[in-house]
Amino acid sequence: MAIRAAATSAPTARSSSALSLPPPISSSSSYSSAQLSFGRAKSTTRPRTTVGCAISCTMTREAAAVTSTEKDDSDPALWSRPDSFGRFGKFGGKYVPETLMYALTELESAFNSVKNDPDFQASKLCISAVKAELGGILKDYVGRETPLYFAERLTDHYRRPNGEGPHIYLKREDLNHTGAHKINNAIGQVLLAKRLGKKRIIAETGAGQHGVATATVCARFGLECIIYMGAQDMERQSLNVFRMRLLGAEVRGVHSGTATLKDATSEAIRDWVTNVESTHYILGSVAGPHPYPMMVREFHKVIGEETRRQAMEKWGGKPDILVACVGGGSNAMGLFEDFVKDKDVRLIGVEAAGLGLDSGKHAATLTKGEVGVLHGAMSYLLQDDDGQIIEPHSISAGLDYPGVGPEHSFLKEKGRAEYYCVTDEEALEAFKRVSRLEGIIPALETSHALAYLEKLCPTLPDKTKVVLNCSGRGDKDVQTAIKYLKV
Amino acid sequence: MTSLFHFKTTAGHRHNYPQVVCPNHAVIGGNRHVMTSKSTVNPSVLRLNKYGTPAIDSPKERVAWVVDTKSPSTGKFGRFGGKFVAETLISALEELEVVFHQVLQDPEFQEELTTALKDYVGRETPLYYAERLTAHYKAQNMGRGPDIYIKREDLAHLGAHKMNNALAQAIIAKRMGLTAVIAATGAGQHGIATAAACAKFGLSCTIFMGTADMEKQPSSVDLMNLLGAKVRPTAGSFKDATSDSIRDWTEKLGEVYYLAGTAVGPHPCPTMVREFQSVIGRETRRQAAEKWGGTPDAVVACVGSGSNALGIFHEFVRDPTVRLIGVEAAGFGLNTGKHAATLAAGEVGVYHGAMSYLLQDEEGQITCPHSVGVGMEYPGVAPELSFLKETGRMEFYSASDEEAVEAYRRVARLEGILPALEASHAFAYLEKLCPTMPDGAKIIISCSGRGEKDTETVFNYPIS
Repeated sequence: MAIRAAATSAPTARSSSALSLPPPISSSSSYSSAQLSFGRAKSTTRPRTTVGCAISCTMTREAAAVTSTEKDDSDPALWSRPDSFGRFGKFGGKYVPETLMYALTELESAFNSVKNDPDFQASKLCISAVKAELGGILKDYVGRETPLYFAERLTDHYRRPNGEGPHIYLKREDLNHTGAHKINNAIGQVLLAKRLGKKRIIAETGAGQHGVATATVCARFGLECIIYMGAQDMERQSLNVFRMRLLGAEVRGVHSGTATLKDATSEAIRDWVTNVESTHYILGSVAGPHPYPMMVREFHKVIGEETRRQAMEKWGGKPDILVACVGGGSNAMGLFEDFVKDKDVRLIGVEAAGLGLDSGKHAATLTKGEVGVLHGAMSYLLQDDDGQIIEPHSISAGLDYPGVGPEHSFLKEKGRAEYYCVTDEEALEAFKRVSRLEGIIPALETSHALAYLEKLCPTLPDKTKVVLNCSGRGDKDVQTAIKYLKV
Repeated sequence: MTSLFHFKTTAGHRHNYPQVVCPNHAVIGGNRHVMTSKSTVNPSVLRLNKYGTPAIDSPKERVAWVVDTKSPSTGKFGRFGGKFVAETLISALEELEVVFHQVLQDPEFQEELTTALKDYVGRETPLYYAERLTAHYKAQNMGRGPDIYIKREDLAHLGAHKMNNALAQAIIAKRMGLTAVIAATGAGQHGIATAAACAKFGLSCTIFMGTADMEKQPSSVDLMNLLGAKVRPTAGSFKDATSDSIRDWTEKLGEVYYLAGTAVGPHPCPTMVREFQSVIGRETRRQAAEKWGGTPDAVVACVGSGSNALGIFHEFVRDPTVRLIGVEAAGFGLNTGKHAATLAAGEVGVYHGAMSYLLQDEEGQITCPHSVGVGMEYPGVAPELSFLKETGRMEFYSASDEEAVEAYRRVARLEGILPALEASHAFAYLEKLCPTMPDGAKIIISCSGRGEKDTETVFNYPIS
């Protein structure tokens, strides 16, 4: 859950000014009137004690600097994503206990130093197949580059009676080793950890997908791996637990709280705080404190870069629309990132509406959420009137997250990206439809994006090029789907 | 051309075929087959090995003889292969053969297939240097040992090499104007691949599967259903499902396309499947040249019925310096009778339309094979592999259930790859192979499929 703000010692004098805060901003307020709000009334820290001691003081002092970028509002190429404080507009940041600040700073400088290191650089090396660490591994171990596949029968399905309709392409991240995009980031972070001399990797996992990806990569590089998993989740996903153990990871059950993902996350963070010198924490998505949202995005942006090149090869142009499912937001940022500055490319994210937006059982953070701090970053999140995190629901575990990456919150607020949502039922229908029409079984997460095509395609002019990120394969979801679909 | 040898069928009572003594003609089951072979080996050398094939010591000459002796037109590989089927199927097989040769020459077909293999299946699959596995074996031998490369067929769409063949044949079915496809599957991988290919091309799909297999692999059945295929249960296992599907084909000639999943069956099925799987070997040659400027010293693959092995071996058959190593399933042990090591423990006979090695008891009844890797449980083997065995071109060994499960765990721990239990048999053989290989020798091992489907089996496998 939210980082426990009361983790460290008594508040210092300089931070006491943070306690007299302006009223919290609501999500609908315009950017120009936004001020940094540590959202005391709407914050998610539990218990609601003095918050100031744990919040980065540089933010408080430099608050004015954040609002000064409003003059660069319209041109995406000029946006700081993120700025030097790790902020995307007002979102993002580093809301963590003081003990973690050094680790985050160290991580950021390590990442910046490798970003431009030709031996480490990813995408260019994928293309030219030059022998170098990340590129070689992504190519030979993960199986990149993944194809951009013209989905002929799906395109036919959406063709209107007069023969017009969009052309649908699938970016096949499901073909990666371990069957999802997650490994792009896991590989990048483990290589970074090795460069930092860390021998120990920790991560948390809900259903087990991120845990398996992390364990896989640790096996490949011979690093000690500890995965925190809620005891309840361990019972429900015993096969994934076994898989992680087979891969050499230690899976530690967390029994506190509700014994699910949010408690596993707290435990993982506690471990990191304790073992920060020897340990690297692999965060699975573009959420969390800076530099994680930026780093994870950078490791995934190879998806969009390949797409650009493949689109040029296939039809000599750019995609018109990019569609991706949004849980934490990593696969979407991976596809979108290279195209954010192309204003003629529409970016569409699809979240989980679960049992329906009115049911209260969903995970549609950007549609129904409000701004607050969760897991170290300011972003949209699902919270009740007391600022408590609402337990989200989606049939797909990967979208079952009450927050969202801060960069998505930023893109939504700027109007650069559009966000919609789709129910469990619609996602299941899409799961079956694409299996039957293309022989590709998409992950239930991806099925949310595929379901949105039903609403999107009728509105599109003839020959619009739609690229949808097929972020994972659905073998893991077959049992669930069969139960509901009664196939 | 005079045949260098004559041969006898040893099929046993069940098949009721007469002994063949005339070298040039064989009257078998009412069909006339002209068996000829030409050879560049000096005809005066009549020293034969225990199988009755020329014993050739020089690897180069052996390879030359092997290549010459395969007869594409009659589907014979030495004495193996052929078309031992009911007369009603002969014309269908001949038509299939004609179409097969047509498409091989047709640039449109090749382009459609290449695009589908690239964009849909995700080819080419990487040739991955297994650093930690290599180090593991070197550490056991004072830092010296071979370099191990893994051909990653586990990364293909749906997680096995089966897709290469299913896709190509689905395109052929479309060309022939057939809208219904039938196939038989054992472990389910071929059934799943066929169902997916049919979904992609809008063909209706019926998969025959043995009830014993359906019980062992319920997740495969679910996947096939999801992909829109109908699964027809047959009492028994893969061998019975295959017989049933061939029977169904005979009844519905001209209406359905029979999609062979592996390199067995009557000609042209073995040749077709091998041809479409040989993309694996072709890529491997190119990738090996890129990586170290040469060819592998040894290529290792598991052998169930033989499609993945032939897929990677075929390209290298004519390279005398490349050892071809097949690893079969020894199940509970070769002497327990509960295994699937056809080449090691079988005898020659005719099964499912082709002459090849097969597992039969003293009464000539086909035995029920066993392996922890369900895809290995076929009592026969590709005729072409039988040929490569008898000519000495290929070496074959076997690995037990226990060794395969151990290999699964080892590769998971060292490389973060879960190999299918079938492929794990090949990985198991590395334990015996690596200590014998010189330092820096290049071994390529075919990881024919991914092993997520086998996690539960490994989970439940009793640890000794």
